[in-house]
Amino acid sequence: MKRREQKLFIATFLGPPLALYALFVLLPTINAFRYSLTRWDGLAAPVWVGMQNFQKFSAHGSDFLIALQHNVFLMVVPGVFILSLALFFAYVIHQGVKGARLFRITFFFPNVISSVAVTLLWILIYSTTDVGLLNNALKSWFHIKQPIPFTESSRLLWALVPMIVWSATGFYMVLFLAAMENIPETFYEAARLDGATSTGLFRYITLPLMWDVFTTGVIFLIVTGLKAFDAVWIMENGRPTSFTHTLSTLMYSKVFAEYNIGYGTAIAVLLFALVLLATLVSRRLLQRERLEY
Amino acid sequence: MGRAAGTIGNGLKYALLCLYLAAVVFPMCWVVYSSGKSTQEFYKNPVGLPKVLTAPNQENLATLTTNYGKAWIGSHFSSYFVNSLKVVAISLFFILLLGSMAAYVLARFEFRGRNLIYVLFLSGLLIPMQLILIPLFFQYSNMGEWLTRLLAPPVRALGLGHLTISFHDSHAGLILIYIAASLPFTVFTLTAFFRTLPGELREAAMIDGASEYRIFFRVMMPLARPGLVTVAIFNFLGLWNEYLFGLVFLNSDSLKTLPLGLASISMQAQYKSDYGLIFAGLVIAMLPTLAVYIFLQEKLTKGITLGALKG
Repeated sequence: MKRREQKLFIATFLGPPLALYALFVLLPTINAFRYSLTRWDGLAAPVWVGMQNFQKFSAHGSDFLIALQHNVFLMVVPGVFILSLALFFAYVIHQGVKGARLFRITFFFPNVISSVAVTLLWILIYSTTDVGLLNNALKSWFHIKQPIPFTESSRLLWALVPMIVWSATGFYMVLFLAAMENIPETFYEAARLDGATSTGLFRYITLPLMWDVFTTGVIFLIVTGLKAFDAVWIMENGRPTSFTHTLSTLMYSKVFAEYNIGYGTAIAVLLFALVLLATLVSRRLLQRERLEY
Repeated sequence: MGRAAGTIGNGLKYALLCLYLAAVVFPMCWVVYSSGKSTQEFYKNPVGLPKVLTAPNQENLATLTTNYGKAWIGSHFSSYFVNSLKVVAISLFFILLLGSMAAYVLARFEFRGRNLIYVLFLSGLLIPMQLILIPLFFQYSNMGEWLTRLLAPPVRALGLGHLTISFHDSHAGLILIYIAASLPFTVFTLTAFFRTLPGELREAAMIDGASEYRIFFRVMMPLARPGLVTVAIFNFLGLWNEYLFGLVFLNSDSLKTLPLGLASISMQAQYKSDYGLIFAGLVIAMLPTLAVYIFLQEKLTKGITLGALKG
């Protein structure tokens, strides 16, 4: 009796969330794999084409490969700045500075602003009209004659670098700071007694003991770079060019502008594969022997 | 000598910290004070402070209120705001309810298939939203047609005329996917949380004759509050700022959420010259999440910390 009651309880509690999840996440996931093997305009019956969509990706100079390069750019170039700045700030704040709380709270600000708002903010900063903060500054400091169109398609990816660094660094700093604060103080004391320098402490104690979290940070960066959509889409007014398309914007354009649903979904499937691969490979590559303490 | 180097290093440290602080704060201040400027002011004094701050009087204050009035009513930011509030509040309620139900059962009960279901939920953490977007678009069309056909006979019998059910261009469609897509993270975090709660409490309550349902809602949910708050903050920030699904599933201006409304304004920003309105709209979009962050930053940071240490 008791046993049956419990079974009923488990079913009523697990049933609704599982059903919702299966219907709106798992089912579309399975369908994505099916769609990716077809040619389909969304109206007529889909035509089975096997791996054809994926074969087109590997052609030299395919739109897929170009978009992928842009994704890689958007994770590597800002990523280098983000990781070094975040590590540096986390380290000095961890060592103890006046106003640590202020820095910590403020640096995180841009991270809670929506990506759309951040993008609009930077559109205004880069603007070539009266409001453009940067062009106005360049005009009064360096007396440039014509405003520079920073967000022009051909240089947009470079213009996105400061924006991404600005909006993401605080998050990684908080992440790294948390890891540093978890390292027992006694390690540092012992090393200092042995005459370790500040650089030595960072190199031989801090970094090795927070390596797991650093790995997590790198994976976050890669996955975020692979999914990039909002900023490019908005800055390009919904019409990215071959200078700016990322995997996600390409997927969107293929499906909703060109009605090439099979090809668009194949991009999404490969994006998923890349996310998986990046997660597994960077875990493997970056994972040194885990230090237990 | 060593001390001199130390002082220089120390000075450099503070200089860099303050420089970055300025780089973070200044653009945000610039947005806020620029929202008080008139179009002529932008032309004459593009970067400086608005007159409403330098020479506060009735007329200059009117500029500020005009900008916000135009954004709030003229550009429909009031409706975007209410839509966001509605979509996020309803989604959050169900995410927390359904997420904690699943997490509680997965954390505290032994039954066949438990691990499989847990892994199924976890695998969702690796699925990019881009992957489900397109199939879901067509699934919504099919579901709408199917439900419309299914409900047609009873609707006709009741004399209600014709009823069309559509998941496209409706808040319901957006809310459904928001709930489902948030479950993996929510279930993962809350399962870990429920595991840490003492099991004796449940046994004690059972001896008192409480049913499983009562134990969950009266004993476990209150105990799980810290975990629920953390999950709520992260989901709130994520959903309040979500853009891609909104872009695909909402078309009517009257249904748009804040990120969508803001994006449509920013897509015209290069051509439009009503800067006061644009800045005011940006402030309206930035404030709620900043406020949530300032009030709850300790909890948020703790959430990131926990996530980080678990890896």
